Amino acid sequence: MAKNKNEIVMHERNIQNVSAKQRVVKVMVKVMIYLFLVVMALIVLFPFYWMISSSLKSLDEYRLTVPTFWPRQVIFSNYADAFTTASLGRLFLNTAYVGIVSTLLSLVITVLSAFAFARLEFKGRETMFAALLGTMMIPGELFTITNYATINTFGWMNTFKVLIFPFLVSVFYIYLLRQNFLQIPNELYLAAKVDGTGDLKYLWKVMVPLSLPTLISITILKMMGAWNSYVWPNLVANDPAHRLITNGLRNAFTDATGDVNYPVQMAAVAIVSAPLFLVFLFLRKYIMTGVSRSGIKG
Amino acid sequence: MKVVLQNLTKIFPSRDKKAGKEVVAVNDFTFEIPDGKLIGLLGPSGCGKSTTLYMISGLQKPTGGKIFFGDDDVTELSTENRGIGLVFQNYALYPHMTVKQNILFPLQNLKGADKLDKDTMLERAYEVARLVQIDELMDRKPSELSGGQQQRVAIARALVKMPRVLLLDEPLSNLDARLRLQTREEIRRIQKETGITTVFVTHDQEEAMSISDMIVVMKLGVVQQIGEPQEVYDNPINLFVAKFLGTPPINVLGGRVEGGRLFIGEDMVMEVTGVADQPVVVGIRPEGFELDDNGPLCCTLKNVEVMGRDVSIVSSHAASLNPQIRSIINADHRVDTSAETVRFSLKPHKVFLFDAGTEARIPYEVK
Amino acid sequence: MVDSKQQWKAWLYLSPAIILLLVFTVWPIINTVRMAFLDGYNGLAIVGGARFTVGIANFQKVIGLTSFKTSLYNTTLLCVLTVPISTLLALLIAVALNSIKPLQKLLQTIFFLPYVTNSIAIGMVFAAMFNIVGNMGTAGNDIIITAGIINNLIELFGGEPINWINAGSTYAANITVMVVYIVWNALPFKILVLLGGLQSINRQYYDAAKVDGTPRARVFTRITVPLLSPMLAYVIITGFIGGFKEYSSIVGIFGEDMGPAGAPHRLNTIVGYIYDALPKMNYGQASAAALILFAIILVVTMINMQVSKKRVHY
Repeated sequence: MAKNKNEIVMHERNIQNVSAKQRVVKVMVKVMIYLFLVVMALIVLFPFYWMISSSLKSLDEYRLTVPTFWPRQVIFSNYADAFTTASLGRLFLNTAYVGIVSTLLSLVITVLSAFAFARLEFKGRETMFAALLGTMMIPGELFTITNYATINTFGWMNTFKVLIFPFLVSVFYIYLLRQNFLQIPNELYLAAKVDGTGDLKYLWKVMVPLSLPTLISITILKMMGAWNSYVWPNLVANDPAHRLITNGLRNAFTDATGDVNYPVQMAAVAIVSAPLFLVFLFLRKYIMTGVSRSGIKG
Repeated sequence: MKVVLQNLTKIFPSRDKKAGKEVVAVNDFTFEIPDGKLIGLLGPSGCGKSTTLYMISGLQKPTGGKIFFGDDDVTELSTENRGIGLVFQNYALYPHMTVKQNILFPLQNLKGADKLDKDTMLERAYEVARLVQIDELMDRKPSELSGGQQQRVAIARALVKMPRVLLLDEPLSNLDARLRLQTREEIRRIQKETGITTVFVTHDQEEAMSISDMIVVMKLGVVQQIGEPQEVYDNPINLFVAKFLGTPPINVLGGRVEGGRLFIGEDMVMEVTGVADQPVVVGIRPEGFELDDNGPLCCTLKNVEVMGRDVSIVSSHAASLNPQIRSIINADHRVDTSAETVRFSLKPHKVFLFDAGTEARIPYEVK
Repeated sequence: MVDSKQQWKAWLYLSPAIILLLVFTVWPIINTVRMAFLDGYNGLAIVGGARFTVGIANFQKVIGLTSFKTSLYNTTLLCVLTVPISTLLALLIAVALNSIKPLQKLLQTIFFLPYVTNSIAIGMVFAAMFNIVGNMGTAGNDIIITAGIINNLIELFGGEPINWINAGSTYAANITVMVVYIVWNALPFKILVLLGGLQSINRQYYDAAKVDGTPRARVFTRITVPLLSPMLAYVIITGFIGGFKEYSSIVGIFGEDMGPAGAPHRLNTIVGYIYDALPKMNYGQASAAALILFAIILVVTMINMQVSKKRVHY
């Protein structure tokens, strides 16, 4: 009997040990996870930190052999210098113009096409839609060559047209919006027809409001696209009158390495990056849903 | 392995912080599950039965109270160290593994002294597979199995590591009616063969009654009654339990006791010795009626349903709290379906009185 | 219910899209194939009224060129290095993020930040971080004005500074920098997709594994990864497609020269090769290169799909 009791006590102690050990392991694992995430987050953030801190340093301070963590003396004039050196004002205006015009046109085209594919019956609808989706497989670089030749023929070199039209239609956006339109019950459309509501009015009053989140996602991605586009504009419109912001940035600071006035350069980079962050901060939801569905940058 | 629940309580903090209302999912549950028995936790949804099961499993931590497996306090012990088997409501079979891999999975987790070699593992897997009769299906994926087969795989996976306690969460709810009947007998058989203490959760009283050694009826986190199925059915502790058990459900009528006699409407139906004068709720089991031309209870006849062995008489009475009264009597009796009324006498042990306010059972002596 | 009014209305609504697509998408597809298979096709020569014979000379020429081979090699190397690294890192981060509650939203936002950047602009920041001013390879009397913050950090931990991207830097160093930058850039999208996938895995699988006392590592390899495999496949395929089109991240760090000072075009990619050919109106070769790129992407995608079929569950 006594022996039995002893065994039970032993057993209890074992169980207590097990649960104590469990708790320790659990806490350790949690600490490791957080440690990993925080370290990774710091690595991800580091370039941003370095950009901002460098942009506020004097050139002399930037060149110190032992770098300073934060500028001893904050120099805001780097930003003014950056603005004039790269004539960012003009670049901003150009980019805004191209961005807004192409976004608006693109929205109109996308809405109309998506509506046709989602609601109207016409011969060859499915074939056509499948063909459109098929073009998504082909890398855009393949189009670039002919488009370069085409706009040469059109005499569009160094115009805003060339920045707006060639990539105005996005098959992916049409697809996205069509899917969204399809979720809106067809009865609404039929009801509107019974009431004598025209197609365009119906589109504007019913379809557009109901698919606003998708339209906002498209708008943001399209604007970001204009802001970030580099390759195509660099080929076809790299004159000062039509140059876009990213090209302007790259052109103004041709040297990325060597003895460069980095504080001013970083200030310019910060100015160019700022609008993107602001948009992200306020419209995170739309960007993230848009991105997770597309996998396309900008 | 007996399982002891001691003042077990679970309080969920409110989701909506502003409202600040906590939800008491399980309130002060004390119960000792004897070794090797099959226990059914029974109640409508939201009664805390699943929470109780998850606390026994260790997937949820109790807010208060203790859980013992045998003499071991396992309250603080995490799930994997409790030695339980758990069958989930939707089985949670790993969709990317074959049946064999699913069953082997728990064995492959064993470490140290418990570690098994490959052959032993396979042997054990086939052993349980045979027990639940799925040894023909070992190389299929869960998506290629019927609901009943998936259920068996889930049970096999839970049994393969020889758990001290087997827990089943609504094990039959995803099966169709025919399979349900078959599977519940299967569960009973497997439990008997293995002798593992088993707790299962269900909202289906018939299911619980038919296979459990004991049932626990719960409502809103509070245990209402614990006992053997027949005992709980015959002696419900309150109106809720009486209403919850039995198909067709118990008939509920308004009545009153005056001078040791029970009145339903104006009809004096029974002597109920020892009950003080008061308004009462009367519960009469469907099988508690007897056709009797001189019977005290007079009802308006609405319909007669012949079911072969039995006859179900649907009638109505002004005092009934339900739209209709359903009584089941032996088919030997011929009912005059053209009659406007039908008269019954009542079997006293099938009639329960409840306090009109608290709904608690009022005992009386049956003569 | 195909009435004729709907017919012409539909085509009317589609007309802007169709016209633009015909000019800027459909015609280019046809024309690129045409130009690629016309021997020696050149924009300047066509003005001179030259005629071309059909053949595969463009392909032969392109494949024979060292500059193309370099581009192909660089592109493939970057793909092979960055896709596995970024996928693995993204997977670890997503799993870690999925297992925590406090700070999850904040960290998720931080990890998404590199996505909303301009790859040219941030490339310049990376260039600044890796840049060295001064000359370090030669005699001791040269003074390093600034070694760049990355080298400063390396020295802090007791390492030797490395010439990453400046004149005289090694190919390996250049590639390392590119890998770091590309991975940094590729993480957000992958984390977003994988985290979304993780959050849609039924919790009960994890409960079941817990009941069976499955160790964390085993839960990860036997449950999380297989159940996440469709998302992983998606991320890997898009990663390879994006990787073979790598271009602007290199411009961001090394500029249009696509290489450190003194070794231009050392890091050129297939896309870079195509763009280089355009101003020279070398359309035939550019088209051939573009078709080769398309073929590579197609093959890689198909291989991925084949592997997925075997490996991706359900």
